Amino acid sequence: MKQPYIFGIRHLSPAGAWHLTRFLSEKQPKLVLIEGPSDLDDQIEYITHPDTRTPIAILAYTKEAPVRTILYPFAEYSPEYQAIVWCKENKVKCRFMDLPSEVFLALPSDLQNESRGEEERMSVYDLLDKQAGEDGHDTFWERTLEHAEKTEEYHQGANVFGEHIRAFSEGQERDWPELLVREAYMRRKIKEALEEGFAPEEIVVVTGAYHVAGLLDETAVAMTEEEVKSLPGKEAKHTLMPYSDYRLSTRSGYGAGNRAPAYYSILWEAVKRGDYQYMAECYLSRIAAYQRKSGNPVSSAEVIEAVRLANSLAVLRGGKYPALRDLRDAAVTCLGKGSLPSISLAIADTEIGTRIGALPEGVSNTSIQEDFYRKLRELKLEKYRDITAQDLSLDLRENRTVSTEKAAFLDLHRSFFLHQLRVLQVSFARTAAVKQDNATWAEQWVIRWTPEAEIELVEAALKGDTVFLAASFALKERVEHAAGISEIAQVIEDAFTCGMAEAMVYATAGLQAMAVDAASIVELAKTAHRLSTVLQYGSIRRLDSEPLIPILQQIYYRACLILPGECICDDAASKELIQAMEMINSAALAHEFLEEETWIQTLTEVSHRDDLNTRLSGFAAAVLLERGRMDNQELRLEVGRRLSIGVPAELGAGWFEGLAMKNRYALIARLSLWESLDNYLGTLEDEEFKRALVFLRRAFADFSAKEKDEIAENLGELWGTNSQQVSEVLNGTLGEAEQNIIESLDDFDFDF
Amino acid sequence: MKEQILRLPAEQLFQKEIDALIAAETDPVPAGWKMSPRSVRTYICGGKAGKTVITPKYIGHERLVEIAIATLVTDRALLLIGKPGTAKSWLSEHLTAAINGDSTKVIQGTAGTTEEQIRYSWNYAMLIAQGPSKEAMLKSPVFHAMETGTIARVEEISRCASEVQDALISLLSEKRISVPELNMEVPAKKGFSIIATANTRDKGVNEMSAALKRRFNIVVLPAPADLESEMEIVKTRVAQLSAGLDLNAKLPEDNVVEKVCTIFRELRCGETCDKSQKVKGTSGVLSTAEAISLLCNSMALAGSFGNGTISEGDLAAGLQGAIIKEEEKDAIAWKEYLENVMKKRGAAWSGLYKACKELV
Repeated sequence: MKQPYIFGIRHLSPAGAWHLTRFLSEKQPKLVLIEGPSDLDDQIEYITHPDTRTPIAILAYTKEAPVRTILYPFAEYSPEYQAIVWCKENKVKCRFMDLPSEVFLALPSDLQNESRGEEERMSVYDLLDKQAGEDGHDTFWERTLEHAEKTEEYHQGANVFGEHIRAFSEGQERDWPELLVREAYMRRKIKEALEEGFAPEEIVVVTGAYHVAGLLDETAVAMTEEEVKSLPGKEAKHTLMPYSDYRLSTRSGYGAGNRAPAYYSILWEAVKRGDYQYMAECYLSRIAAYQRKSGNPVSSAEVIEAVRLANSLAVLRGGKYPALRDLRDAAVTCLGKGSLPSISLAIADTEIGTRIGALPEGVSNTSIQEDFYRKLRELKLEKYRDITAQDLSLDLRENRTVSTEKAAFLDLHRSFFLHQLRVLQVSFARTAAVKQDNATWAEQWVIRWTPEAEIELVEAALKGDTVFLAASFALKERVEHAAGISEIAQVIEDAFTCGMAEAMVYATAGLQAMAVDAASIVELAKTAHRLSTVLQYGSIRRLDSEPLIPILQQIYYRACLILPGECICDDAASKELIQAMEMINSAALAHEFLEEETWIQTLTEVSHRDDLNTRLSGFAAAVLLERGRMDNQELRLEVGRRLSIGVPAELGAGWFEGLAMKNRYALIARLSLWESLDNYLGTLEDEEFKRALVFLRRAFADFSAKEKDEIAENLGELWGTNSQQVSEVLNGTLGEAEQNIIESLDDFDFDF
Repeated sequence: MKEQILRLPAEQLFQKEIDALIAAETDPVPAGWKMSPRSVRTYICGGKAGKTVITPKYIGHERLVEIAIATLVTDRALLLIGKPGTAKSWLSEHLTAAINGDSTKVIQGTAGTTEEQIRYSWNYAMLIAQGPSKEAMLKSPVFHAMETGTIARVEEISRCASEVQDALISLLSEKRISVPELNMEVPAKKGFSIIATANTRDKGVNEMSAALKRRFNIVVLPAPADLESEMEIVKTRVAQLSAGLDLNAKLPEDNVVEKVCTIFRELRCGETCDKSQKVKGTSGVLSTAEAISLLCNSMALAGSFGNGTISEGDLAAGLQGAIIKEEEKDAIAWKEYLENVMKKRGAAWSGLYKACKELV
């Protein structure tokens, strides 16, 4: 039987794209079959839409969670893309002929990686790298095939290349069965086309060079109807999405690898012009231009020398034109003065590039993508849709200088939108730290569009049709699956930053329904902290947070009630409790509707009781001191009581450690405190002193030099010595002898 | 006569290989060259010419050699930069030996090098007696190279004063040398070029001007990438050197070479080869070249005062001499290295450790 023309290619190959169009023009086929999922035919018309800008990709994704995706990227110089363009221009039918995406998505995941299992074949390419000599197979391919000037040369060469790889790896690869199934399916598609009435010479099949031998194999049979039906399948949808040069470059496993997409664009330009020399000139001039822009003078004479060097390097390797490797080495030698680091940024920019694709309006097939781009326009965020990260500062306050309500709250709505994306885990924007003085109304974002973000967006399509709906669905889901009240509080906070009142009401109801009684003090404190934040900053986001007040009150009382009981714990747990106390304290400070006295009484109890963890008692005392609810007299009594003879030294020192954790200034200012401490240490026996020392050292470890100075001043006052000398001793580093003594304390036995 | 010469130039030492390469030539040969660029690469990096085996002269970075050769093909001057002992002069000598069959057109850059040594000077007796004439002119190696279309070498260019360096600029850009005294201009023949070497340790002594740098393609020669290639370099070079020196000692065994290279690498990089431990560095460069001379030195010690096999004592003496350059500081670093690294290396190293320990 006569076979249709089969043109083997490498998936991202400028020369392949060029020769393929020439081949098509010569053969004038009536049908072009392209290796790509056969259920994606409907995307072909959008791919050739005049407003479409490459790189783009077709994304197929499962309709049910967990979402699995596969991607078919197209660069301008993809032979497949150029074939599609040619078909459109010549009004020739064009179809995809590979297994439907639904089947791909149903294949076991270790076989089907995102790039159709091509990554699995890396081992073959690794072997090939060794065979091809110093530069690996990429340069080999570039020198032999990308630089092939005759269509016939390329056609034959690619076939031989594919055939050899195939012979090399036949049957050994893990995805070998999958490959056979795919080829059987492709043969079926070809057969169907023949049965439709196309003559063999009216069909051109465009496929990876690897498959050429498989498709030409006369003995292999096409897949039967029953076999097609027995293929696994997962319900899937697909959409076009913009892609980026950067992403193309990271997918080096993709069949034929493309580590330098921007350089390949230059190659494409050169191939189109039929002037391979253009490649060297353009590449090196771009590096020079980048260097100049970043303030490193590079002369044209140096560029000329680099071109000459690249050419002679190519000749040394037996090539006609310089390959990327030669160009890069020439750039390093002539433009980088022999050092790669000095031009590595220019090289990255010239080889990888920052281009991203674009699609005409209405082409994205998921409504959430549509909504995303509509929102970008509405909120004037379009210029941030770029592969380079950009900063955006938002001022959430009303802008009183503009007339419309929409413009006045533009930044606030932007913030809502970006937070919604954050909730959906779309990595389009991330928050950066803001200075304390404007934390209430300012937000700092770093925005960067990546194909990954687009994919995450498509994945979020399952949750809702718009960003807003999807986000509220995601929040609801989190309320339903929440394990504790602080998780729900987190949802409330998120709903609040997203400006989603409904979700807030829903989460609030969820919080009320959950048994507050079962929660631990730490959980309660976290919840209180989150709710308190929402209530404090509620007005700026123009949301009604009133319903949260009774809940916060309830949690606050509960926390006060159980705190003393929870303070019986070991030192490890005390850290968490200290944080919890801190959070409750700040909530109590921030809101008048939380009765202060209740909190003070609780603290006083914790501070006075002797059976609790002494660190916590100390910390409670520190809070009281800070709030001015403990006077000097009380403090002196307390210090005397805690640091008296007979109390085990580590308990006393632990208490002091707790006390010193907060508000050091107030401590330092109280001379009486240091007097008591001094007296106390004086009374200790040697052995006890050693015990106390360990804890006290820890307590003073994070005092700053200035604070130590001030303590020194106090001690100097007490001892009647020069404060300077004391300060020197306190701030000095340890001598060797002292270090040894301290190390010996490590072995100190704390059991008693 | 030949045996009496201490060190033969490369083209004589490897005469056979060069002849074999020229005989087996199949590729086009650039004007002024003796062999094609590819054969030059084979000569430097090793391979085969017909039936003759070509020994590798420069091991490790084949691509850099290619860049160097390609530079010379384009009539550009070549500047080899690197730390001391990274085989800059070695590479430059072999490049000219292969390309021209003549590596002797050398100017050694020193603080005392004058402009005349770069261009030309006069036989003053003749100048005074007969006035300026071609016969009274003493041509510099660069002058000769221009006349014959060959390559001249300038060693340690950054040691020369800047005005001397600047004398090269016009030679390299105009590619002609003028002799106003004789009202004459000598254009360079095809094939003329210059290979200069510069030392990164001398950076700042006489910084090369941007104008001069621009006329060179710069190739930075790194220290050997790994222990294996460094050992190979050391072994080959020690064998070559000692063959000419009649040291009456056996070549060092592999484990001796390995020890020396390991110690040098570790002190040079500031960490142990397995990257598990930091090591205090020393003030010396501890280059591959030093390792080579250390081993030859030890061979001489063993041959003259020992039994002909390098003993640990010979090695220890050599090591200490090479490593301790600045008494105080280096001695401390060396002692620390002995205690913290070498001592813990087990039986294979204990002999050397003891020998070194005795000396310190």
